[in-house]
Amino acid sequence: MSISRSLPQSKEALLKSYRTRLKDDVKSMLENFEEIVKLSKGEHDTQLSRMTQCEQDTYEMHVRAANIVRAGESLMKLVSDIKQYLILNDFPSVNEAITHNSKVFRSKQAECDQKLMSLRDDMAADLYDLEEEYYSSIYK
Amino acid sequence: MSVNISVEAPIENQIQEITYDGTEIYQPPLTLSESLAKYAQKIDFSKTELEIKKEELNEDSKSDTDSKEAFQSSLWPWDSVRNKLRNALQEVCVLADVLAIAKDKRYLVLDPVQQETLETKPMVQIYARKKALAGAASVLLAGSEKMKNSQTEAARSRTTLDFHIELLRLRQNWRLKKVSNTIIGDLSYRTTGSKYLQTGTFEVTKAEDEEKTNSPPSSPLPGSTASAKPTSALRVSIPSELQGVAYIEVLCQKDQEDLCTANLTLLGSGAPPTNPDMHWQQKLEAAQNVLFCKELFNQLAKEAVQLQAPVPHMVVGNQIMATVLPGIQLIIALRHSTSSDKKQQNPPPSKSDHDHVLEHSLHQLLREVHHKNTHHPFPHPATGPLGPSKKRMLAGPMAADRYELLEMTKTQTLLEQIVQQAQHFIMRMRTEYVLDTIAKEVKDPLITSHWNTLNSPTQSCVKIHISTHGYDAVCRTPLIIHVGEKSLKCICRDGKVMNMSYEPQELRDLIFCHINQHQILAVQALAKTMGWQALGNSNHLGTGTVEPLGNASSCLLSSPTGDRIIAVRCEPSTDTQVSVAHSPRQDFFPSRLVTERKWEHLGGQFRDVRLDKMEGRNFLHKMELLMASLTSSS
Repeated sequence: MSISRSLPQSKEALLKSYRTRLKDDVKSMLENFEEIVKLSKGEHDTQLSRMTQCEQDTYEMHVRAANIVRAGESLMKLVSDIKQYLILNDFPSVNEAITHNSKVFRSKQAECDQKLMSLRDDMAADLYDLEEEYYSSIYK
Repeated sequence: MSVNISVEAPIENQIQEITYDGTEIYQPPLTLSESLAKYAQKIDFSKTELEIKKEELNEDSKSDTDSKEAFQSSLWPWDSVRNKLRNALQEVCVLADVLAIAKDKRYLVLDPVQQETLETKPMVQIYARKKALAGAASVLLAGSEKMKNSQTEAARSRTTLDFHIELLRLRQNWRLKKVSNTIIGDLSYRTTGSKYLQTGTFEVTKAEDEEKTNSPPSSPLPGSTASAKPTSALRVSIPSELQGVAYIEVLCQKDQEDLCTANLTLLGSGAPPTNPDMHWQQKLEAAQNVLFCKELFNQLAKEAVQLQAPVPHMVVGNQIMATVLPGIQLIIALRHSTSSDKKQQNPPPSKSDHDHVLEHSLHQLLREVHHKNTHHPFPHPATGPLGPSKKRMLAGPMAADRYELLEMTKTQTLLEQIVQQAQHFIMRMRTEYVLDTIAKEVKDPLITSHWNTLNSPTQSCVKIHISTHGYDAVCRTPLIIHVGEKSLKCICRDGKVMNMSYEPQELRDLIFCHINQHQILAVQALAKTMGWQALGNSNHLGTGTVEPLGNASSCLLSSPTGDRIIAVRCEPSTDTQVSVAHSPRQDFFPSRLVTERKWEHLGGQFRDVRLDKMEGRNFLHKMELLMASLTSSS
């Protein structure tokens, strides 16, 4: 409850819209399927001639099937949208990633520092010897 | 009972008229025949009438006269009823005629009619439904197939990563937010304390499918997965002013002659500048680098204009020129290449001997500023202004005076700091050069310099040893030189501190003076070990020719028996002079003044020793041989 309250209004509206989209799409799938089944029963009296009726039924079935497909694709889109929303607004995981990254970089930095330090120490020791050698040699 | 009740019958007849005096004139009630006619007229014969009319049409010729008759007598109230009855009669007559004819079976035969239509209709309908269902099913199958394909393709082909996984990776590394239908990212340094106004927004889009489909043909070989790998499902579009590669070039120039150059790009200059196939991470990093360089240059240019320097700084285009030391300029330039053609031009001016130190420290300085902007020292009041340093917050309790407060407000700008670093850099280079040339020029006392490894960007330290080869243990003269920003500080052997300016000649002279002192001291120390006695020494000899720099130094040594005396004189400009005197004289000739031999112990004439003709590796060796020979001969 506290989480939902802390959410800003627009976010909440967006989540609600996702929920309604889900329900609408599922409902549309179901309804269209039911309608197709009903049409296939074909017990409805009409004033149209038989051939026209058949054509109309065929057409309606096609449209309803296409509607089901559309609803399915809309669900896919919804899934993708929800994924995107989650990725963009999942601050705990982002924070986790940031802390992880900073930890990684910090350890890398410490490692680099350590390596540089040891390198510096080695170089300083060698430089001292080399300087000693160079300045006391005749090749200058 | 006695009350009268008046009862009035409801009006049965319709009111025809109401006169002005209120009397109502009623219509007379219909007579029986009239009302019958009225009701008869209300009978609806429409259903039968249709059939009647059809028959009438069939028997057009026959009813022609009747219809004419009916038309004429339509005013008569019973006309419709009569017509209908007549039609009915006619029909019955016709039926009777037909039946009569059919009964004979001569002209007409009545056969049972097959109800074919009723049987065929359901089959047609079923076929039609089947067809319709098949069509619907095919639509559904096609749709599901399409979805399944897209799913499996994404799952199977690992070469093109899923958009959402890429987005997740992007989100983990960069700031993103959704604005209506687009995903906007931010690559500026705002969150880390930058106050630069330019925005660093970029847009994230899904890579188009057509490009995806185009990429597989480009890599038809299954082995070349490397080329297929970079096709990312994500595309970032960066504003044009942040595209390309930027870096800041730092040059130290001495009268148009480069002393040192330093270029640094965070990516390294090898990266291709604007490759459309570049991975988004690299692309964003390049853009961020551009933004950073711009901010840095902007800051430096602002400071260069504001600072009141003795020699004013110049800002021309993308270049800042600041005078570091007399005759030496520091040039900081922003190089931003957006196209690949420009990139080709850039490498020639950049020298091969890169020194990234100044450039790096520039970057470091700006980052420090950023860090300071966000990290305020604790504790700070929740309501108070952010910014005053810890020192200043302590100023109240510590009762700081005006001077101290003024000192606290002084902050160094980036440009000042980098100028200081450049000054130090040049000072260090000059000191190195002076020391090396002296070490090369002067062979006899060895001059060894050791640079300290621990130093800061504006301060370093070098330790100099003056010693003679083979006689290190006898005498060595240590010197320590602190190299600052504009001055040198030398701590001598005896603890004296010499401050020098940035002119290298001063250091050179100082070292030459110390070489002379070293020689004299070393000779005395050697004499001690040989059993000789130092009669006296002077570092600043007043006699002799006037030296161009410093004073000559000298010392006087006597042999253990006291019969030999060596005098050594060192001059910075010329070589050392060594003279020897014998006492007593080898040959004594009594004269009028010196009558007795004992007076000859006072010492005789000094005779110069030609050191260059002597055996020995160096001055001290020669002196050792000289002393040894003089000792043994006595």
